[in-house]
Amino acid sequence: MRSWIGAKSWTKEGRPPKFFALVLEEEFNARGKASPKGMRSFLLAALILSLAAAQAEDLRTESRQPFLHNIPLHDTQGRVISLPDLFSEEGKPQEPKAAPYSPAQTCGKCHDYGVVGQGWHFNEALGNVKPGRPGEPWILTDPATHTQIPLSYRGWAGTFKPSELGLSDFDFLTNFARHFPGGGIGEPAKIDSADPKMGRMQITGTMEIDCLICHQSTGQYNHEARLTALKGQDFRWTPTIAAGLGVFASFRSAGSIADQWHPGKAVPSTLPSIRYDRSKFDADNNVMFEVTRRPAPANCYYCHTSQTALDDARWHSDLDVHLRAGMICVDCHRNGLDHQIVRGYEGESKDRAVTDAMIDLRERIIRRDDAMIDSADARKLARRQLDAELGMIDSLTCRGCHESGRLGSPRLIHKGLPPIHLEKLTCTACHSGPSPGPEPEFVHTSLAHKLGLPAPARGKNTAPIILQPVFLRGSDGKIAPCRMVWPSYWARRKDGKLTPLLPAEVAKAADLPKQESDDVPRDPYNTKPLTDAQIQKALESLPDDASKGEAVFVAAGKMFRLDKGKLVSEEDPAARPYSWAVAHDVRPARQALGAKGCADCHSEDSPIYFATVLARGPIEPAKGLHKEAWELRGDDKTWAESFAFTFHFRPLLKCIVFGAALIVLAVLAHYGLRGVGAITAAVSAKKPLP
Amino acid sequence: MNSTARFSYCAMCAGAFVLAATGIGVFALGKAPMTHWVLMAHVAAAPVFALGLAAVALTWSGPGRSGSGGAGRMGWAATVLLWVILVCGLVVILSGVVPMTPLLGTGGQRMLYLTHRYAGIVLAAAILLHLPLRRRG
Repeated sequence: MRSWIGAKSWTKEGRPPKFFALVLEEEFNARGKASPKGMRSFLLAALILSLAAAQAEDLRTESRQPFLHNIPLHDTQGRVISLPDLFSEEGKPQEPKAAPYSPAQTCGKCHDYGVVGQGWHFNEALGNVKPGRPGEPWILTDPATHTQIPLSYRGWAGTFKPSELGLSDFDFLTNFARHFPGGGIGEPAKIDSADPKMGRMQITGTMEIDCLICHQSTGQYNHEARLTALKGQDFRWTPTIAAGLGVFASFRSAGSIADQWHPGKAVPSTLPSIRYDRSKFDADNNVMFEVTRRPAPANCYYCHTSQTALDDARWHSDLDVHLRAGMICVDCHRNGLDHQIVRGYEGESKDRAVTDAMIDLRERIIRRDDAMIDSADARKLARRQLDAELGMIDSLTCRGCHESGRLGSPRLIHKGLPPIHLEKLTCTACHSGPSPGPEPEFVHTSLAHKLGLPAPARGKNTAPIILQPVFLRGSDGKIAPCRMVWPSYWARRKDGKLTPLLPAEVAKAADLPKQESDDVPRDPYNTKPLTDAQIQKALESLPDDASKGEAVFVAAGKMFRLDKGKLVSEEDPAARPYSWAVAHDVRPARQALGAKGCADCHSEDSPIYFATVLARGPIEPAKGLHKEAWELRGDDKTWAESFAFTFHFRPLLKCIVFGAALIVLAVLAHYGLRGVGAITAAVSAKKPLP
Repeated sequence: MNSTARFSYCAMCAGAFVLAATGIGVFALGKAPMTHWVLMAHVAAAPVFALGLAAVALTWSGPGRSGSGGAGRMGWAATVLLWVILVCGLVVILSGVVPMTPLLGTGGQRMLYLTHRYAGIVLAAAILLHLPLRRRG
């Protein structure tokens, strides 16, 4: 573990650090004034310290003890944020106003921000990263238009890329910044000032990676305040506000200023400033950041909570067995400075690419330790090392950890479980998620349902409706428990291809039922399902457009369209659900599927084969598609039922086979013993005992 | 040789044929382990084979011994093969059924699986060789 020392540059800070202030003060106290000799000493010391400070940026503590992050704040220009004195020279009180701090400039002084930005949490739109196993999408949700569309920049099958819907990166941020940690699309390499949306970033600022979302250790990161700032599109100011370092010094948000600005015009100079909390700053203008390399699960939970107990039954949950055992998320989901967090699925190492940024970083380390090596050789060596290290990822999967015994994990035993199960099932199939029942459960997730942010109580029909566990076969051929969401949207269909309409467009054009205002408090998420008549009316109201195609509605696994004025529905590939694997919460071995016997899975009503999965969406449940788990996997029902049926005879089979074995054993023992007797008799006959 | 002995032998051979076709067949085609209908056929044939083997052990082991009467027409090779069938049959049966009990973990189960496979191959070969030899002197 390495800790980097924060650089405190005397020259950049604009005034001497405390040590020099004391030297100067002593000099003045001793002589009553600054003597030429004293000043010379001071300047000499200052020069030496300035050089040392300039080099400090590459210093590390190399200790397992975390470095005390008592560091100066820097603004986006890299200038140290220095609060004005409490009183001016005229004796007037001065407000501690200053520009917001920049995590890129502040944390980036010691931690290579560019390398951090390659991390899994930030790189989805970089285009140089393999998508890996499909994960949780962002879901564009609008209850008023009954829209729920899975989105991802990674191109996972079943999701839309935002651009396919006509959503710009800026639109994406306005929808999802609440749970987006910054970086990536939040920090475009170049802001096109002519672009009416992205151009706004000249005013709102970019959305830098906010390191404290994950790394603060105080539990005082204010997500609600962050959301308020984000709603005002105060991207540049958000990290400062959320960290509680200060408040807005003005009421006008950057977003409202941007609203009155037009592309091509000069950027207004009167942008919001921060009124800092003086108590956060020490005499040297340093701020204490209580940060940790190993974030607590509570920090991860802001974005990675999933809630199945929706009826005030949270106390039923035992949480993940690993957390209960005292582990934390990052014990398995590890990362280096590149923030390529181990996702933890088998085969992940094949999905990981060694990026140039990773090679750059490793090259620097190699060349630091070997002054003789040239850059080309160092890069080759770096790539070899990084490729070899991918094996480390495999040892952090469930199987990898439990086979190797890392962190004292219990060894895999699986008594009575034929090994073929380990080839056909993921570990999570038996050990993760809620115990499966006859139907999958509703689940809320942070990303989809804005968990972690205050809102009216969310119910099971709150969009987007996500179900789990649905047992599906992954690309590796293994059955795994998954979450599933059915897309729901209004679209135009042309040449068999559907182009979803954005909620704003639908709201303008379609004649959709308006929710009664009296009903809003009871049903704040407008969960009342659409009837056929309402769907038909809405489709009829969407204007015909030969160039864009006919209007259709996709929901609950079906596509609805008008055929000669009559509403018809049918299965369509565009209506297929998107699913992603469930990994947590992990249940202990004694609560795993199969712990009670083979019939947990091999019975005529076992959820893994025969759970009924009802496609859910903004229509009446009976109108949606419904399939059983075997059908979703493309399995053979006759076989599944027959195989389950044979397990009724399993005890009889064992009795017969064990009985037969006993008979054969008895015969063999009988003649074996007789043979031994004959041999001893023969030996005895030849050599009688004395 | 009486009809019981013949019936037992036939049952054992019939069971062994299905087991070999499903088990060794899948292995030889490079599609091991068995799954689906093949596995079900394999498991269904197992009790037939096991009961046949037990009956053969009871009805053939006496005559099969060298120098005894009855079916003493079997030569030494057939006799040796019969004992090989009984021993391998026992191993095959136990290595097939013990994994259905919570006695062994993954490592032990894998060992039993391999034991089952290779003992089965030896058993099939022994039965194939024994078939033409069983009535020769």
